[in-house]
Amino acid sequence: MRRLTCTLLVAATVAIAHASPQDRPTRGEQRPTRNPLEGNAQAISNGGAMFRTRCAGCHGPDARGYVGPDLTGVWLAGNTDDHLFDVVRRGIPGTEMTPADPLRVNDRDIWQVLAYLRTLSAVTSAPPTGDAANGERVFRANCTRCHVVNGRGGQLGPDLSRIGSGRPRAGLLSKLRGTSGTIRPGYESVTLVTKEGERIRGVRKNEDEFSIQIMDTRERLQGFLKANLNELTMDKQSLMPAYGPERLNDRDLDDLLRYLSGLRGSEAARR
Amino acid sequence: MRVLTVRLAFAALVAGGVVTCALNAQQAPAPELTVQDLRDGLKNPTRWLTYSGNYANHRHSPLTQITPENVHRLTAQWQFQTDTLGKFEAAPLVFDGVIYVTGPLDTGWAIDARSGRQIWRYRRDLPAGLIACCGLVNRGFGILGDRLFKTTLDAHVVAISRKTGALEWDTAMAPYRNGYSGTTAPLVVKDKVLVGVAGAEYGVRGFIDAYDVQSGKQVWRFYTTAGPDDPGHGTWRGTDTKAWEHGGGSIWVPGAYDPDLNLVYWGTGNAGPDYNGAEREGDNLYTASIVALDADTGKLRWHYQFTPHDIWDWDSTQMPVLADLTLNGEPRKVVLFANRNGFFYVLDRATGKLIRGKPFIETTWAKEIRPDGRPMLLPNIVPSEEGTKVCPDQTGGTNWMPPSFDSTRGLFFVTARESCGMFFSWKDDYNPGDGFRGGAVQRLGDRPYSALRAIDVATGERRWEYRYASQSWAGVLSTDSGLVFAGGSGNLMAFDARSGKNLWHFQTGSALYAGAITYMIDGRQHVLMPSGTTLTAFALADFRD
Repeated sequence: MRRLTCTLLVAATVAIAHASPQDRPTRGEQRPTRNPLEGNAQAISNGGAMFRTRCAGCHGPDARGYVGPDLTGVWLAGNTDDHLFDVVRRGIPGTEMTPADPLRVNDRDIWQVLAYLRTLSAVTSAPPTGDAANGERVFRANCTRCHVVNGRGGQLGPDLSRIGSGRPRAGLLSKLRGTSGTIRPGYESVTLVTKEGERIRGVRKNEDEFSIQIMDTRERLQGFLKANLNELTMDKQSLMPAYGPERLNDRDLDDLLRYLSGLRGSEAARR
Repeated sequence: MRVLTVRLAFAALVAGGVVTCALNAQQAPAPELTVQDLRDGLKNPTRWLTYSGNYANHRHSPLTQITPENVHRLTAQWQFQTDTLGKFEAAPLVFDGVIYVTGPLDTGWAIDARSGRQIWRYRRDLPAGLIACCGLVNRGFGILGDRLFKTTLDAHVVAISRKTGALEWDTAMAPYRNGYSGTTAPLVVKDKVLVGVAGAEYGVRGFIDAYDVQSGKQVWRFYTTAGPDDPGHGTWRGTDTKAWEHGGGSIWVPGAYDPDLNLVYWGTGNAGPDYNGAEREGDNLYTASIVALDADTGKLRWHYQFTPHDIWDWDSTQMPVLADLTLNGEPRKVVLFANRNGFFYVLDRATGKLIRGKPFIETTWAKEIRPDGRPMLLPNIVPSEEGTKVCPDQTGGTNWMPPSFDSTRGLFFVTARESCGMFFSWKDDYNPGDGFRGGAVQRLGDRPYSALRAIDVATGERRWEYRYASQSWAGVLSTDSGLVFAGGSGNLMAFDARSGKNLWHFQTGSALYAGAITYMIDGRQHVLMPSGTTLTAFALADFRD
């Protein structure tokens, strides 16, 4: 029995010796759940330099993605500082995103990179103007058919529950006025004509050489074999109408922007 | 009691021996896998013994059971799933009714080629702190005798038993903590296993190694960046006098072998740092090149550099394809090479002299390849702090996905990619194990696309193309019956080799990062496709002899 105990102890010691440092129990103070360096100018500068060396190769020099995904919208997507720290530290199993070895990358390094990334997705703090309450009324009248906010609204367009934490006012403005020119993947407008002559509009969810999958304007998910279509057109214009001054006056626009800028998701989602 | 036990054991032993002898008397001996079998390539159509089917890397099978006329009857026979994360980038090998394939995260399997059932599984315990820039993948086994060989993510080369999957020898190539890793399929030549290391994005010094198949001992090494005692060292100039020590030139796909010339041909990786050449002036030999080495000694016979002073991450880690052509009425032994930089090259494979270089995609970095073999560069192509648009982007006009060559039709089939990138450059300091790219590439708004293209090797002209719906990473397989198998968006597709007409497809459910292979078993031709973490075997639905 003693021999078995000794063997187990030796095995356990060897296992600990071979365990990577991040697998070892942490001692001392708990890691903060919010980035302690957010907004720190020196940290942002250091983080930017580290991002270039360690991250830009996959995520692109502007963090908008290349081989790896776009990182500028990760907070908008509901991720927390704590979670993002863990992703960097532990990596994503089975992908090119390998763990950040604590022998090479300390906690402060990770917080600095996250502080830098936050600047790429943060909304510039222009002084707020407009009446949010009226903005919400404008939204309910014009936008809820296609956009969800906090569980209410349509599904044809993107969920806007956190749009205020990820999209600057100028970006929202160009989207509303129809001058943006970019359409988020999964929401590109498409028009199909079936062999029976039915014309269907919707947004493209996926496509390959032989088929296309869409959500039509009635929010019906549908798949089509291209061989069964007479026409398939990718529309340059978004399905979202342009809200020019004739449809939305400057005051209502200002109010709507104030409302949208305040959409940061629920507390639970932000955590 | 003890006497009884001994007697019973003896009786069992005798009986067992008799039974074994009786069984052996009835059974055919197990076929051996010899050096000559490797040289024979696909002459035996039940086999697929190297990454691209033969030493010349043709990926072209003599099989004719599946034809353009009947390919619409091709149906899935079985599927094998790895139950791992990651994806297949490997070429499966087939020998004596068994498939041998490597998977992500240093796994491997022996699988019954008739049923898709696993026979054994291999898995390496990998250390923490692996550094691998571009996927925890592997591109396949090498095979000889009763052994399989593979490179590992922690930069070892191992031999395992073909019969059990048990480890037989294990040799470290380089320190993985400094960014070295192994992903290439080995090239087995005579009594040696030839491999190399990945890691140019971490400032490794690339090399091609030969190891003894029996012992695992290193026989020779060829460094792909020229050191002080090597010819070509003068091509590493500039302020970083040690640039060659961390200059890249990684090796992550296998080479080719010409038994008559006893030369191995290998494409080498990008120079490092990837996008900043300010401190490594000169051509930076032998990065972004093809090298021809004596198979016995590893001595350099010749080299040809596709992208002198590479600053766009254009690894030349594509397949060298060996061919015997008649060009201008003269028989020529050549290497065909569709390069990541967007040009399709024909080289004399005895001398390395350029015969022809023509773009097979839209390029903006070089106007043409001059008769002396050097590219005629265009202006405004150097990555910069502000960004410089160059075509192709760093993923290239093609990449590791293997092409095929149909010598009868004189057609080279390649997955071609049309894309441009905004190349940024900045200063980077080398620190072992850290990223060492000196810049990055930004995606541009214009939508890139890819296509399967057939290139006439006699002229370098495009004969036909089939455009995919998205960027494809799939390799190519062709057959004597006039079919080409390739694909995109998860679709394995069959094309008419003469016209490029799509004849058949099957949605595998995951993106394709490898090429199909084909083999005969029980009189039926099978096509085997890795996709995602699944192998799918296809055969004609109602085939009769």
